[in-house]
Amino acid sequence: MDPEPLRPLLDRRLLLFTGKGGVGKSTVVAALAVEAAARGLHPLIVELGHRATMQGIFADATGVRVDIGHEPVPVTVDRTVWAANLDLEAAIVDYLADQVRLRSVARAIASNRALQGLFRAAPAVREIVTLNKLRLFERASTRGRPTWGPILVDLDATGHALMLLEMPRMLDELLADGPLRGLIDALTGLFTDPTRTLLSLVTLPGEIPVQETLELYQRLGGEHRVPLGALFVNDVPPPAIAGELRPHLPELAALADHANLPDLAADLQLAEQAIARDEQVLTLVARLQREIDLPLALLPRLLPHEHDLAGLQRLGRAALVASARSPSPVRWDMQERA
Amino acid sequence: MSLTDLLQDKSLLVCVGPGGVGKTTVAAALALQAARAGRRTLVLTIDPARRLAAMLGLDGLDDAVRPVAIDTLPGARGHLDAAMLDTSASYDALIHRITSDPAHRQRILGNRLYRVMSRSFGAAHAYVAMERLHDVLGAGYDLVVLDTPPTRNALDILDAPNRLATFLEDGVAKWFVPTPGPGLRRRLLARGGAAASKLLGKLAGDALVHELGEFFAVFMSLREGFQQRAEAVQRVLRADSSGFVLVSSALAPNLADARFLHDGLVARGIRIDAAVFNRAYTPLSDDPEEIVTVAAPRALAHADGRFVAGDPRRRLLAQIDALRAAAAADNQIAARAVDRFARELEQTCLKVQVPTFARELRDLPALAQLGDRLCADRRRRAA
Repeated sequence: MDPEPLRPLLDRRLLLFTGKGGVGKSTVVAALAVEAAARGLHPLIVELGHRATMQGIFADATGVRVDIGHEPVPVTVDRTVWAANLDLEAAIVDYLADQVRLRSVARAIASNRALQGLFRAAPAVREIVTLNKLRLFERASTRGRPTWGPILVDLDATGHALMLLEMPRMLDELLADGPLRGLIDALTGLFTDPTRTLLSLVTLPGEIPVQETLELYQRLGGEHRVPLGALFVNDVPPPAIAGELRPHLPELAALADHANLPDLAADLQLAEQAIARDEQVLTLVARLQREIDLPLALLPRLLPHEHDLAGLQRLGRAALVASARSPSPVRWDMQERA
Repeated sequence: MSLTDLLQDKSLLVCVGPGGVGKTTVAAALALQAARAGRRTLVLTIDPARRLAAMLGLDGLDDAVRPVAIDTLPGARGHLDAAMLDTSASYDALIHRITSDPAHRQRILGNRLYRVMSRSFGAAHAYVAMERLHDVLGAGYDLVVLDTPPTRNALDILDAPNRLATFLEDGVAKWFVPTPGPGLRRRLLARGGAAASKLLGKLAGDALVHELGEFFAVFMSLREGFQQRAEAVQRVLRADSSGFVLVSSALAPNLADARFLHDGLVARGIRIDAAVFNRAYTPLSDDPEEIVTVAAPRALAHADGRFVAGDPRRRLLAQIDALRAAAAADNQIAARAVDRFARELEQTCLKVQVPTFARELRDLPALAQLGDRLCADRRRRAA
């Protein structure tokens, strides 16, 4: 549970990211992967099936669309960033192959129609084979060195993430011994080792996402032993109106009124709304900072022309630097963009 | 054709979409709109959304159906109920309904796999959603508005009952009906063959096989009615009286998820009746429905002849122009993304863009305002 702000995220083998859908988790994951590659590491991005978010992000960034499947493929032209999107059936085969040692036998079992029904309907199968595949990625080696590092996992919505993280512990209850025992031990070892694994949270500076993040943080503290990394807040807007100019707004409002300038009145209303949003953002960030004992990284929204690899890398670097700079968060100055 | 017609004609509206786009709020606003127009309506939400409960004037939302006091709204004629699909509670309720023997019930509720599954989301959630939907469809509502979990799991609601049905047909579950002692293993060998048995040994070990046995016994006891109910719900979901509303924001990642969902639904024989793009633009014109995508500076002009160079009010006016220009640029990006997305939708699919509201929606009147906006017939677009 203890955050280790001074050890940078990229030292770890397994970086897990969770947060509600739509908070920009995948963008943060992609950005960190690009920055990791720029630092000479071997990042592998892992998505957990169904969605094709990462494919879209890298298609936008590189102009080349790569189909991301169950086994890792390079998603950048220089082949430094790789990605995989786990497929349930294939992950079952991987799992079985690991257990029965013969891939052909595993395939035969996995393609048995009745057993397919069992796998799809039985609880926890998806979670077990997913965790197992992550472990296989972690163990993979090339010429005696780990093939992947860091492995950045884009976990699904928070409910699924919790389910995944709870799985080793829940299975622990069920399995005093038996063939799964070794797997459970390996998974528990991997997922609870702060030198190898960190779970980071991603959220937005909105009332609902912040509330949900606080609830998630509490649950993580209560039930799970997964070590926590950093809290990333995406889409933090730049200050709407410079603070020293704000006191002049009432004068302009009076002008709009006296000189009967409806356009100006409407524009001032827009400014007031922007300031109100800005203040809400600051309040929410302060709340996160108060209640969550993790390095806090405030990230800007990428502008339309910043969705290229260079833009992702800048975001990744900002995320990395901010996540190691605990505890006082620094709002990323828009000027740094230039 | 507008959303008003859908709310009037359909008896089930399923709201699907990515997470974080305000899907639950849109579902509630649609249900409220139907209720105000006189229909007896139920909104069944997924998330334990405290904020939604507050918006509806309720002190909470759970498995129990609660009436919403819509008579505080002028002209409201119908009735609105709200409930939340609580996976764990609904599962337990289901077990209570189908088991008469208290000892049997206790054994099920205490089964560890059952507890794992009833607490998890995903497929298990979909089974319960299906059962709950079957319940409420027979409860005498004119319209049921169903909120769904984000993207990928919305498809589970369509797939899970079939999966379970296939599973039951294949008779796998029969292997697991618990017989005491080594009988189970014999039975496994007899029915499933050596491979399956060996596999299960490899997979799980005896402890888990035993728990699985009990677990599947639960489903065997559900089996009778389950398949019928699953088929009934599948029929209802594809009937003309049911409609699907795809809710997204105008942001690219949300639209990508929405596209995935759309394709998945179409592949399953579902037609999308309406696409709602929530928080799609900032209103910048007197006409709140106009989407302004280019905003020339205009505030700074008011400084001329009033404020000398260097006056902070000049700078303030310039910043206000920049703010408006940025909002218009955002509108343009969003409008293009929505256009691209909408072009690939079926001709018959309604497309509705909803602005970002100046203030957060906090109460029933605010929700009604969103409902009005969703159902506004007129949808003008800036060139």
